[in-house]
Amino acid sequence: MSDWKLAAKFLWRHWRSGELRVLSAAIVLAVTVVTAIAVFADRMDRSLQRQSNAYLAADRVVTGRFSIPEQWQDLVSDLPLEQSFTAQFGSMVFAENDMQLASIKAVAPGYPLRGDLEVSDVPFGLGNEVYFADGIPEPGEVWVDSRLLPILDIELGDTLAVGNRDFKVSKVVIHEPDAQQGFSVTGPRVLMNYADVESTGVIQPGSRIFYKWLLAGEDGSLDEFEQRIKPELGEHFQFRTLQGSQRSIGSALDRGKSFLMLAGMIGVLLAGVAIAIAAQQFAEKHVDTVALLKSLGAEAPKVRKLYFTQMLMLGVVSSALGLITGEFLHQLIASSLSSLFGVELLPASWTAYGLGFFTGLICLLCFALPPIWPLPTISPVRVLRREINIEQLSVRTRALIGLSAVILLIAIYSQDLKLTVTVIVGLIAILIVAVGLSLAMLRSSGQLGAKAGSTWRLAISNLQRNPGHSTTQIVVFSCAIMLLMVLFMVRTSLIDEWRLQLPENAPNHFILNIGANERAPLIEEFTAKQFEFNPLYPMVLGRLVGKNGETFSEEDRDLSNALRRELNLSWTDSLAADNNIIEGQWWDQWQSVDGENGVSVEAGTAQEIGIKLGDELIFSLGGLELKARVSSIRTVDWNALTPNFYFLFSPGALDDYSPTYLTSVFVPNDDKRFINEFLRRYPTIVIIEIDRIIERIKAIVTQVSQGVELVLWVVLLGGVLVLIAAVSASMARRLHESSILRALGSGRKLIVGSLWLEFSLLGFASGLLAAFGAELILFALQSLVFEATSRIHPLLWVFGPILGAFFIGLLGAFACRKTVTVPPALVLRELQS
Amino acid sequence: MRILKAQQINKTVTTSDGQLTIIENLSLSVEQGTSVAIVGASGSGKSTLLALLAGLDVPTSGVIELNGKDLTAMDEEGRAKVRAESVGFVFQSFQLLPGLSALENVMLPLELHGAPDAEVRARNYLERVGLGHRVAHYPKQLSGGEQQRVAIARAFASEPKVLFADEPTGNLDSVTGATVIELLFDLNREQGTTLILVTHEQRLANRCLRQITIDAGAITSDLSVDEDEIRVELSE
Ligand SMILES: Nc1ncnc2c1ncn2[C@@H]1O[C@H](COP(=O)(O)OP(=O)(O)O)[C@@H](O)[C@H]1O
Ligand SMILES: [Mg+2]
Repeated sequence: MSDWKLAAKFLWRHWRSGELRVLSAAIVLAVTVVTAIAVFADRMDRSLQRQSNAYLAADRVVTGRFSIPEQWQDLVSDLPLEQSFTAQFGSMVFAENDMQLASIKAVAPGYPLRGDLEVSDVPFGLGNEVYFADGIPEPGEVWVDSRLLPILDIELGDTLAVGNRDFKVSKVVIHEPDAQQGFSVTGPRVLMNYADVESTGVIQPGSRIFYKWLLAGEDGSLDEFEQRIKPELGEHFQFRTLQGSQRSIGSALDRGKSFLMLAGMIGVLLAGVAIAIAAQQFAEKHVDTVALLKSLGAEAPKVRKLYFTQMLMLGVVSSALGLITGEFLHQLIASSLSSLFGVELLPASWTAYGLGFFTGLICLLCFALPPIWPLPTISPVRVLRREINIEQLSVRTRALIGLSAVILLIAIYSQDLKLTVTVIVGLIAILIVAVGLSLAMLRSSGQLGAKAGSTWRLAISNLQRNPGHSTTQIVVFSCAIMLLMVLFMVRTSLIDEWRLQLPENAPNHFILNIGANERAPLIEEFTAKQFEFNPLYPMVLGRLVGKNGETFSEEDRDLSNALRRELNLSWTDSLAADNNIIEGQWWDQWQSVDGENGVSVEAGTAQEIGIKLGDELIFSLGGLELKARVSSIRTVDWNALTPNFYFLFSPGALDDYSPTYLTSVFVPNDDKRFINEFLRRYPTIVIIEIDRIIERIKAIVTQVSQGVELVLWVVLLGGVLVLIAAVSASMARRLHESSILRALGSGRKLIVGSLWLEFSLLGFASGLLAAFGAELILFALQSLVFEATSRIHPLLWVFGPILGAFFIGLLGAFACRKTVTVPPALVLRELQS
Repeated sequence: MRILKAQQINKTVTTSDGQLTIIENLSLSVEQGTSVAIVGASGSGKSTLLALLAGLDVPTSGVIELNGKDLTAMDEEGRAKVRAESVGFVFQSFQLLPGLSALENVMLPLELHGAPDAEVRARNYLERVGLGHRVAHYPKQLSGGEQQRVAIARAFASEPKVLFADEPTGNLDSVTGATVIELLFDLNREQGTTLILVTHEQRLANRCLRQITIDAGAITSDLSVDEDEIRVELSE
């Protein structure tokens, strides 16, 4: 019989006898968790990349102030790339009675190459009324922003003129993939066919027009295109890819991903511990078997081959199983996520599956092999002399192998150094503290035991009799509980944070360009409708032109977008809740010197331009100069969809520049039509709808939260597995002890009671240690990785020990029920043979 | 023909109290097909001697030849090969693998050596020890005597030249022990195996053709019994 066949036969027999179950379950679990998370994260990454490309409406874009040169077509004629063009410009549009400055976008067939154009046949359409356009406006037709209809006092189907040409308004545009975000006043959108641009006659030499050449295709062709086009661009054209994804969705998902990584890591750690314990047990059980095999004439190399082949087979089969369950789990997480992305969720790359598969084998290699390794060296004399035992690898060697495995796995897997180092350092610190504290606790429990009743005395002396063993158990239990605590708390704070970010009634419309005399009636109307709205911010358009007496040069302008365009300048005396002063003082503490104006600058912008506290900034507001001293630097939560400003002036500083006002408001869906009517009465007010964006973010966040929950439960399974492994590892010893006790006449009640108590005490101590460790790791994680404010978690300290005592006590008593149900004689005989 | 020969063997181990000599200057040789009982008080070194003779362990000095091969000149792998070819064991504690059925336990040595007809042979031997109807039972489900019979089937299944038995009845009551011994000697006779039996039971020792008594690791008496005498004894 071949060695493989023999190994398979042996493996089957060992499996049948149940001794491989925990080991195999742990491998399956590790692979499941890693596969599900890696595959999910990979698909999410790839899809997000696509998704963010949707914000370009293409994979690559060439932009310029001039139309894209015809001859550049030669550069792409041999590349399998899709392409389209857009041209964007401001122009007055006319209806019978009104006119309005509109932002016109002409699009060529194919637009958008990535993402979808959402349109409706109902102004301010909602829900079912909205659908994906299956093309672009026909020549002679335009699709417009809903808000343009009330402004021009027209309906769908009416006519609208752009320059010399009349167009039929055939649809409203609900959402463009490449729409700008935020609240710059660009005028309502008019979407027309690219072929119609010329006939309007509005494009004259010198007109401000943005041309875009959109391209999409495979990465290879895109890279080739980039190579070819870059030298041709000159100073009038720019090549653009979209780095990073849209902020709000991106950061929710980024944290979600960090969490999943953490969860995966914890899952692998727990599985690793379970594997190590199970393998240790397996090795102990097999000392006799190997001695027997050797007495029957099997040489050490043969035994080694036999056992390693079995482990390899077990690893491969379990990993394959884990791949299947992991794929299933990931499908659960991802099932409805695809509908949330504009594009279909891309399939995962094979490396994600490979990662999952090899995790199983690496776990096995590093956690299971060390205890099994010395097995073949057992002397065959053991069949005659039972006291002979194997020389185990030293605890230090095994710990070292295990630790390197953990580091390796985490590093490969999370590819996040901060996360890796935080968890590892935390873990090592906990190990040291746990060993020290549990030894101290065991020692001090001595006095307690002496005074207590017989159940307590028995339980405590059981714990003390083998301090090494008890310590190991406490360390294992507390690590498992700690990791679960960390995961649970991170998940809770993450989901809370998302909910906070997107409260039920988050503002879903920006209202701009409110005239000074329109303020009072607007507040009145909104209050009457019971809309929730933010305070009205004054706003003046202006440019930042200089610093400390010097005007910015051309090179300076390249530093930041903020220097190239008109800025929304505002003032307020109350600091918004999501703003944080990181340097300097807010107005309530700031002292103006010689009546100077103060300005508070957003931190990112300050860094880009090199603005420091105390600098004097020079703004140009409609040709008038305004100087202001930098009094504070602020961070702003751009995720919160509320009005935020790069520059906030001291109260009153902008009073002389005839500000308009802006606010944001939550308009319930039922009242959506109100906007139409409202705009007819206040034609100069601009309303920007962001409800679509908010809905999308909410849906994604909900989905990711569900994924996070699901993963949490799977990892929890890992924790339970560790507990089961650790409890069952001590079964043989307990079985022996309790049967001797019973043979000596101890009551069943006393034994069950003391066992239950023993495990409850272990659980209590572990819960306490775990709470301590979890606090430590949470503190590090929250300040380093999730960048959230950290705090003490009193719940951990209460529930950790209580639940620890309860569950471990229960599990222990359950696992050890055999010790009191099996007749002692049978146990003693079995143990002897 | 001599199947087993030990010359001037010593076994010394290092303990916490210093050197301990367990076997001292012991020499003996055993003819093929005979049965030898090694008797002596507990702690006299019987099991140690058995381990040395069977090639499970190596003497500190001296030479041991089994089936014409010098065990002491071999490494553990060489000795394993010799054990595989020519040695079988029966132990006091049976040493059945708890996860394997009776049949699988008997098949174990045959499978290890790659015998193609392992199952047929194993079934055959289980029939011979009277357990043909219990092949699928696990050790847990068998009595002590039955377990030892499975162990005997396993020992004979690989058709060894020498069978070593260390206190094979030590864990059994006297009636069960007697039937197990009966079986052991029957099979021994049928197969012409050499039997080396360690025991402290005189009754059992008396059934062997030769009795060696050891004390403190040295042979104190070595009695051979005429085979005919035993036959007479048996027929009475
Ligand atoms: N490896 C060893 N280390 C220490 N003492 C040993 C070792 N092997 C055997 N002994 C001791 O040698 C003596 C003989 O043992 P053993 O051969 O098992 O005796 P028997 O089988 O006759 O009862 C015993 O006292 C035993 O404790
Ligand atoms: Mg003995």
